[in-house]
Amino acid sequence: MSWVKAVSVVGEDVFDEDEDDITLQNKEWNCNMEKRVKDGYRDGVDAGKEASLQHGFNAGYREGAAQMVAIGQLKGIVSALQCWCQLQQPDSTMLPPIGRLLQDVAKHEEALMERMKMRQLQPQASVGEITESIEDLGVEQGVEHTSGGGSCSRTDCCSKDCAQGEDQPGRPCQRSSRPSFNAEESLEQLLQRCVDLATQLVKLRTKLPGVHDQLTSTSSGENRSNTHSDVRPQGKPTAMTLPLLFLLWMPLAF
Amino acid sequence: MLKMTSVSGSEDLFDCILMADDRFHGEGYQEGFKEGTRQGMVEGKNHGATHGAKLSAEVSFYYGFAFTWKCLLQNNTDAKARKRLKTLESLTGFIQRFPHYDPQYENLQEDMEKVRAKFRQVCSLLNVPTDFREYVTASEGMSF
Repeated sequence: MSWVKAVSVVGEDVFDEDEDDITLQNKEWNCNMEKRVKDGYRDGVDAGKEASLQHGFNAGYREGAAQMVAIGQLKGIVSALQCWCQLQQPDSTMLPPIGRLLQDVAKHEEALMERMKMRQLQPQASVGEITESIEDLGVEQGVEHTSGGGSCSRTDCCSKDCAQGEDQPGRPCQRSSRPSFNAEESLEQLLQRCVDLATQLVKLRTKLPGVHDQLTSTSSGENRSNTHSDVRPQGKPTAMTLPLLFLLWMPLAF
Repeated sequence: MLKMTSVSGSEDLFDCILMADDRFHGEGYQEGFKEGTRQGMVEGKNHGATHGAKLSAEVSFYYGFAFTWKCLLQNNTDAKARKRLKTLESLTGFIQRFPHYDPQYENLQEDMEKVRAKFRQVCSLLNVPTDFREYVTASEGMSF
């Protein structure tokens, strides 16, 4: 430690009045102390990081997990409907809108993940931002889209409108009141599409064959394809089941 | 300052130097610790959020899938449907008891593997392709 020597030398030579020497040694002292502060700072950063990383990880994990529950469940539900429909009626007119919905749900999920990664690049996420992103999920928003609900007797009117809306500047379907998430539909809108499709599926299955054919004139082979299936629900009770499912699901998701 | 220390002898001076040394180091340390804690929280949080989100999305997907199939099949009474329902119920029940949202849960990885195994079993009983992720991706590709 040469600077220790340097300081003690200053002590001995203090009456020499060699100002240049003292200034030089003062400088060295200051420089060394500055270095000590920096070393201390670096050690402190390392220790502080070590102490808080796990804590931060745990908090972030819970936050991230909570954010994906609703969209994950919705994706599972739509996938199940798709599988079921494919096995039951491989040529059903319901399959394209279900496929589109699944795609949009997956897009929404990806966007949520992407946002989480973006936050990594801009680490200072304030409470305000987090609240905002929760609001973007549509959790706290009022439902604005009850107008089209009554006329929704066609096979895929709602979903078609929304799916086309993705490509058009003036979307015909319901819009989120917040512009910040405008590239994606809100979770509520996706859920509404899912409920509409599920309701349609149930309606189709419980119609008498004649009425059924009128509704889905493009898929005449549909009824025959049902006969080989062994997972087909028997009788009407299913009609109550699916809407009920979503009612049950809602409180779970939020 | 240096004049004063020089009077009290070289040992005191040495103590003084060491003290100053510690003091400056300590001051830096305090400040660094604060900054490090902040950085660690931010880094840990981001890292944790990605992990939690991935796992939660996967488990929630399985849950939604199994729950829906349960509803679709619940009015069937034949033996095959009963077996399917039993397996589906086993999966949804397991997921409900599985604290996948808790990063400190000690069996997180093991239970996650169990969930995946149960899901594969469900898929095979339902005659849907086992690798569901690929299945989903494939159907995404063809619908546009």
